[in-house]
Amino acid sequence: MSPLGRGRPARRAATRAGQYVALLCYLVFLAFPLAWLLSTAFKPARELASLHPGWLPDHPTLDNFRQAFDEQPLLRAALNSLTAAASAALIATVVATPMAYALARRRTRLTRAASGWVVVSQAFPIVLVIIPLFLVLKGLRLVDTLPGLVMVYVVWALPFALWMLTGYVRAVPRELEEAAAVDGAGRLRTLTSVTAPLLAPGIVATVLFAFITSWNEFFFALVLLKSPGKQTMPVVLTHFIGAEGVADLGPLAAAALLATLPSLVLFAFVQRRITGGMLAGAVKN
Amino acid sequence: MRTRRLPAVFTALACVFALLLGGCASGTDRDDGRITLRYQSLAWQDESVEINKRLVREWNAAHPDIRVAYVQGSWESVHDQLLTSFEGGEAPDIIHDASDDLADFVYGGYLADLTRLLPERLKADIPPRSWRTATFGKGVYGVPFLQEPRVIMANRTLLKEAGVRVPDAEHPWSWPEFEEAARRMTRGGTYGVAWPLKDPVSATLNLSQSAGGQVFHRGADGKAAVRFDAADQYVPRVIRDQVVRDRSAARTTLSMGGADTLPGFFGGKYAMVPLGFSYRQQIVQQAPEGFDWTVLPAPAGPGGERSQGVSPQTLSVAQDSPHKAEAARFIDFLLRPANMVRLAKGDWMLPTGATALAAPELRGARHGWATGTALAHDLRPAPARSVRGYPEWKDKIATPAFQEYYSGAIGMGELRRRLVRDGNLVLARYQR
Amino acid sequence: MSLATAPGRRPAEPATGPRAAGGWFLVLPALIPILVLSVGPLLYGIALAFTDAQSGRTAPTRWIGLLNFRDLLHDTLFWESFRVGLVWAVGVTVPQFALALGLALLLGQNLRLRWPARALAIVPWAMPEIVVGIMWRLVYHPDAGILNETLGTGVDWLGGLSTALPAVVLVGIWAGMPQTTVALLAGLQNVPGELHEAAAMDGAGAWRRFAAVTWPAIRPVALAISALNFIWNFNSFALVYVLTNGGPGGHTRLPMLFAYEEAFRYGQFGYAAAMGCVMVAVVAVLLACYLAGRLNGDER
Repeated sequence: MSPLGRGRPARRAATRAGQYVALLCYLVFLAFPLAWLLSTAFKPARELASLHPGWLPDHPTLDNFRQAFDEQPLLRAALNSLTAAASAALIATVVATPMAYALARRRTRLTRAASGWVVVSQAFPIVLVIIPLFLVLKGLRLVDTLPGLVMVYVVWALPFALWMLTGYVRAVPRELEEAAAVDGAGRLRTLTSVTAPLLAPGIVATVLFAFITSWNEFFFALVLLKSPGKQTMPVVLTHFIGAEGVADLGPLAAAALLATLPSLVLFAFVQRRITGGMLAGAVKN
Repeated sequence: MRTRRLPAVFTALACVFALLLGGCASGTDRDDGRITLRYQSLAWQDESVEINKRLVREWNAAHPDIRVAYVQGSWESVHDQLLTSFEGGEAPDIIHDASDDLADFVYGGYLADLTRLLPERLKADIPPRSWRTATFGKGVYGVPFLQEPRVIMANRTLLKEAGVRVPDAEHPWSWPEFEEAARRMTRGGTYGVAWPLKDPVSATLNLSQSAGGQVFHRGADGKAAVRFDAADQYVPRVIRDQVVRDRSAARTTLSMGGADTLPGFFGGKYAMVPLGFSYRQQIVQQAPEGFDWTVLPAPAGPGGERSQGVSPQTLSVAQDSPHKAEAARFIDFLLRPANMVRLAKGDWMLPTGATALAAPELRGARHGWATGTALAHDLRPAPARSVRGYPEWKDKIATPAFQEYYSGAIGMGELRRRLVRDGNLVLARYQR
Repeated sequence: MSLATAPGRRPAEPATGPRAAGGWFLVLPALIPILVLSVGPLLYGIALAFTDAQSGRTAPTRWIGLLNFRDLLHDTLFWESFRVGLVWAVGVTVPQFALALGLALLLGQNLRLRWPARALAIVPWAMPEIVVGIMWRLVYHPDAGILNETLGTGVDWLGGLSTALPAVVLVGIWAGMPQTTVALLAGLQNVPGELHEAAAMDGAGAWRRFAAVTWPAIRPVALAISALNFIWNFNSFALVYVLTNGGPGGHTRLPMLFAYEEAFRYGQFGYAAAMGCVMVAVVAVLLACYLAGRLNGDER
């Protein structure tokens, strides 16, 4: 064939090589801060103070973790985070599921307005909301309390929960429900025996995702929780960065690592479903 | 028209929602005749945390009906934290802070007037110039109890080598003498002075008092305004000249906090470091063996004026506390002369109380205690402290402006423009 | 991935009498919190911007009309912060998009190492923003950080006036990559494979194939995700709060940080609400221009 034809395999190999180089660059860029965090968390204090820090700890130690627990009330904070995130995730999902069902199955002015809100709230100016929210919660004496924070988290987790759940409801074939109705099952029976089981995995994914976002959340917790005993994990983490910006690096890294673990583990579980949900949204847009 | 309605409506709506969630939460005191007071301390050095906790234990042992719970706060976040806690009605009963941080809380109505709550003994023990630091209008809103002059930590070896006159509390350097000394000590890898000015505002303003600088002035209408005239510019010019013209001051330390300069001080890189009196503790703890250092008083102004601005640490009582009298009693206990001495020693600071200040253990020559106590009567309330909006002026306008001025990025004209013009815009918002 | 197809189906017949009433019942539990804690505060916040609301209870709150906005006009620091915010938002969004697109295209190829890359690309999404900030603080640390050690420099990245903003922007890019990458990956699934092959047969180069086939297919997704990213980035808070807290000298003080301090450090609620209004308004206008421009481009 033409000379072009002979050139192709070589060119293709070059392209391939280029692609690998690029992918490698991405890998390095994405991984090196993570690797550094890991390495710092296990380094003894003397190595951290060295002027030429190495990539790997010479004498790996768990001292930093012990010290982290000594310096800040990490256990308390983890418990607070767990309470806030778990309640918020459960409440948000419980409240969102019926609405998601309505959004997916019906079309009234109300449901259309609600869907609109879901989209708009993605672009929500939280700075404009937090001040009045603070004043409202203050009126309820809920500032500096976990229930106050949970209320905020519920509303904050709702849009994405609705978004995900609506997609899951739509994925349940309408025909199944109709068939059950024809068989003489009541509406409630249909919902509990046909729709709910099909929806269950989606609901679990929604709970987990709402949990992760609440667990990771910082801004509202910073504004609303001020008593040292009530603060959540992310807020307590900032206390490691002490006076004059001098941070005790080892315990800081250790605590940061611990705070990430739950999110990371749960995220591994729901990752596929979330990317799916995101995908649905993206296509819709 | 008032907007009071607006919150009420939303509050009502939100209450419905809260009820759905399981009821409005509310804190209640148990009614068994015992009360618990929360004391939020900002002590951070191990020694002083320990002493504070021990004093609380002693109190609790002696007063089973009035328990005090120790709450640990921190200096970096205290203003934000108190603002939110006050607003949310969750503030501690006894509050540790500094006198230049109180104005906004006093005007907000969050701190109790202590005039009638404090015993005569305490009132008489602390001199009027100290009380003035926590007096707003006719009320007293905090008990000033610890304070520290800014002093010059000097490397005695380098000081001797340079052959300059060594000042003492009675005969401090003048500012030109200080500049000359810094120049003489600058040689080889050594800078005469290191100004740790990460937080330049209070350092500058307090030292400026020796040159008559006030910066904040009250007009006939009682409103505060910023001015920045010759007297206010005197000390800033000296510092900048040292950095930019003489190069007798290290440029890199401008962005450092006090503690960051200590390794360089120990290593002979800096001959002198102007620091708060309490940094002596870190020097004692961290200095390598054989390191010979001394405490010098801050330079005096052109007329030999030795006064220096200061914002003492204070103890206040929350207006919302249901047990103000008991809280005041606890403060009185904490500040008995013997206890005040312990607190002062724990923080390496000067007590305000006259009896405590006379204690022999605070007057020894060792670690410069004597130099510090001799300076105590020259300490004056910082003029900024009673100005509403001072914290915002300080953080947003003055801090970056002074930083840029000292590093040579902007000139005196621009510094003045920012401090005065931008500054007065900020203050105006608080004094409508 | 069944979800991808779900929204395509036209659901829902028009509501009829009794069934519509049932709709209310289903919607109510979610609607009340939304109205009370989201829509309500939003309106309340806008109203606050026209008052002199401050912390403290000695002075009653009064309507002051446009005074806050007039003050804002003269507040050079706020506009400086606004400029920083725009530089940050654009500086993060654009490279983030480019890098994520590259990564998504690579992940679409049949390469080894694809699996770890996919996993790594997702990880930042699961991490608390605070941890991301802390992690990069460790990387940037002037003495103990790996960056100075690797480059052999002694730069105070986050403390230097000229390096702070770029350093923070880099972290922003890193942290936001996953969402963008995943969205673009999803978009890439819309690319018709046959067209690609056909184009390749015609001898179209990689770039031509991308411009003619891939880009048109992922364009809507790209548009949506870049617009969303811009908003998210403009409103971001936690990262910069941990990394620099707005320093040095306000060079990284994003408008969110500015408004937060104004409200919750200095207690100037009304003034901070006015800032919020201005931020929202400006972002809305910018986005409208961007989207309108892009959509017009579509029609051509």
